[in-house]
Amino acid sequence: MRLYRAILYRLMLAGITLILLSVIVFAGCQILPGDVGRAILGPLADARAVAVLNHQLGVDQPLLVQYWHWVSGMVRGDMGMSYTYRAPVAPFIGHALVNSLKLAGIAFVMVVPLGILGGVVAALKHGTWIDRTIVIAGLSATVVPEFVSGIVLIMVFSIWLHVFPLTASAPRNANGLTQVYYLLMPAVPLFMIIFGYIARMARAGMIEALAADYTRTAVLKGLSYRQVIWRHVLRNALLPTITVIATQSGYLIGGLVVVETLFNYHGIGSLIFSAAHAKDFPMLEAGILVIGIVYVGANLIADLLYSALNPRISFGSGRE
Amino acid sequence: MSKRDDLISQVRRNLSEAENDVMDNALTGRVDRRGFLVHGSRLGLSLPLLGTLAGAMGMAASKPARAAGPSGGTLRIAMTMPAAAIDPVTIADDGGLMVAIQTGEFLCALNPDYTLLPVLATSWSPNTDGSVWTFKLRSGVKFTNGEPMNADAVVASVERLVNPKNASNALSAFKGVLSPGSSKKIDDLTVAFHLDAPNGNFPYVLSSDNYNMIILPANYTGGFEQTFIGTGPFKLEKYIPKTGCSFVRNDAYWGPKALLDRVEFTFYSDIQPQVLALQGGQVDMIAQLPVASGRAIINNKDFKVISCKSTAHQQVHMNCETGPFRDKRVRQALALSINRKALVKGLFQGHAQVGNDSPFSSAFPSTDLSVPQRDLDLKKARELLEAAGVGGGFSVTLTTEQYLEIPDYAVLIQSFAKKIGIKINLHIESQDAYYGKAAFGQSDWLDSPLGITDYGSRGVPNVFLNAPFVSAGTWNAAHFKNPTYDGLVADYVKALDLSGQRAVSGKIETLLLDETPVIFGYFYDFLYATSKNVSGLPATADRPYLSQVSITQS
Repeated sequence: MRLYRAILYRLMLAGITLILLSVIVFAGCQILPGDVGRAILGPLADARAVAVLNHQLGVDQPLLVQYWHWVSGMVRGDMGMSYTYRAPVAPFIGHALVNSLKLAGIAFVMVVPLGILGGVVAALKHGTWIDRTIVIAGLSATVVPEFVSGIVLIMVFSIWLHVFPLTASAPRNANGLTQVYYLLMPAVPLFMIIFGYIARMARAGMIEALAADYTRTAVLKGLSYRQVIWRHVLRNALLPTITVIATQSGYLIGGLVVVETLFNYHGIGSLIFSAAHAKDFPMLEAGILVIGIVYVGANLIADLLYSALNPRISFGSGRE
Repeated sequence: MSKRDDLISQVRRNLSEAENDVMDNALTGRVDRRGFLVHGSRLGLSLPLLGTLAGAMGMAASKPARAAGPSGGTLRIAMTMPAAAIDPVTIADDGGLMVAIQTGEFLCALNPDYTLLPVLATSWSPNTDGSVWTFKLRSGVKFTNGEPMNADAVVASVERLVNPKNASNALSAFKGVLSPGSSKKIDDLTVAFHLDAPNGNFPYVLSSDNYNMIILPANYTGGFEQTFIGTGPFKLEKYIPKTGCSFVRNDAYWGPKALLDRVEFTFYSDIQPQVLALQGGQVDMIAQLPVASGRAIINNKDFKVISCKSTAHQQVHMNCETGPFRDKRVRQALALSINRKALVKGLFQGHAQVGNDSPFSSAFPSTDLSVPQRDLDLKKARELLEAAGVGGGFSVTLTTEQYLEIPDYAVLIQSFAKKIGIKINLHIESQDAYYGKAAFGQSDWLDSPLGITDYGSRGVPNVFLNAPFVSAGTWNAAHFKNPTYDGLVADYVKALDLSGQRAVSGKIETLLLDETPVIFGYFYDFLYATSKNVSGLPATADRPYLSQVSITQS
């Protein structure tokens, strides 16, 4: 019962967050310079044509009317019509989100195990050359921009060696393995960005856990090294790492504009970017809201994992 | 000689006064073959007849016709993602245009040398003063849905674009030229256009030069993306927004059938992945290759670069009413500080032509090339500044947009101006911010004392001569108000023949050189890039006509 109430509380907070996000996004769209109709017809279009188009799109209505129209539609599951494509927004968002989830999933499957492993190994070998190598490599990889690592990968593996395709979009009707094959190249720059974060966090957590009193107690109790590491150290060390992973989910889903552009992959990041550029507010607002939902959902899952790994946290309960 | 004279005399008896003027100019050597073909085609003389006459007058064709390439295969093209829904009525960008013209056709189309090629119209002619133009349509042409291409379709297509209630993107092209209700069906294959005012270049307004002018069925009400309905050499296979589209040969096409089985366009949001895709062999062609981004391709012998002479340019406007440039001597000084040859070489690796501070590019046959070319002259520039009372120098902000090579151009202008004591501060912003509301008082473009604005290629200079320069022009960023100029432009627009136009263009060029409201540093070429195994692509700027393109397996 307490758990259900805690989850409902979290969901209520999520709802408030999304409402605030929708207001902020909507207000932000109005601040962007330029004119919606003109963005579609071009800067040199006749003013009469621009006015007619703005009227057709409804952007000449009062802001509150526009906002209410959009929000009420969104609540009913209707994401509205794209200004630029004159078509429902939902299929674009859905397709882009699926694409982003695929790419994020591949990167996730690569980076989380290896990141944690790297951090754990670095911690266990604290102070040695192995530790320094992992830390420095992770830090270096993190600061290399995606477009640099992406282009290098393309030049080497796609244009020179021809072992990987240089675009991320698999042929239509490609099977799962083929899709993974096409997504490996864009996943690597993401891996490089995130590995460093996860490895460093896991390493710090491990070092702290190894130095903790309960670890010393476990050792004194005569438990085997493996038991100490798996049952006591890892369990506690990984808590902050889960938070980092949850935080990175927002980046993995919606922050990949550069990689998506470079590999010509139609994910939700580039969809939002092009919608902002084209002043396609229904597309932009729906896209950001979807990312917000994913982000909030990821953090909710992280909280649940926190609770599973450490019963004392247990959604704020005071009881041991 | 006797046979030649007989042929020429026979033809002349059937020509109007304006058309005979073209003949006179040709016979006396005042125009070359290209000028003859340009102006003759504008008056509706068919190209086969023009070709015969040109041959009879000793104007040999410059190149023999190229043999058709092999049939079959799929051509894979990388191109910029269309910026909006693809609808001929509202298209405003290269991306949408390039795919629309694979199925859509115009009454006439621009050739690489700026002649007009008959397409859905077989001929056109003006009345005595050029206020009414009559177009004859090709018979037997059908849309892909089986509907006939006839006078009803043409009238409806034009009316759809001139109607202010349709959010048509061609309103600015038809403004002051053709009003609603002025397109009249004469019979099933004849349409007459009653213009707002005499216009010697009206056929260009209905040509591919006006990219919204794709002829659609009379009953068209929208939804172009569903079918890409048209009369062209290809028909739609599949279209996926933001991803790409593919077309297959239209075997019912009225003209020579396409050589390719299939054409596949992939949309890209940036140029760099397009370059990589061509290098990696994933595409066979890039539909538009900016020089700045494409040096890896341009300098690579493994690829072909097709350079199309175009009249696209960047206008460097200076406010003539207020601020430091109100004195024309200051404007002249800045223009004289610019090293145009260095611009052409440095910014475009030679794929451009120097401009002479007027819209008259050397590509337009009506350009008077005898007007002296302005060139770098720092000494004279400094003298002019002294005479204007600002010999000690001054500061001004140059505001411009982030687009193609413009930021680099701005930096170069900054360094040129520095040599004569003008300190230019750069303010480079997004295109949205730069254009603003595109109205005076609400646009950095129109309100800045010094700015750079991009203009796309056109087949005739009419658009460039009007809105950016006439006193009441809506794009008059230079705030240039000169009644003499306005009168000259009106005369130019009315002139029906090339010699009449050229006489006026010389005066306009001279006047603009003296007043210098805008610097035209260069007109840059439009580049296509292809792999070596692609051939037959015509050098038509911004219009990839793929009908006679062929590809061999590499």
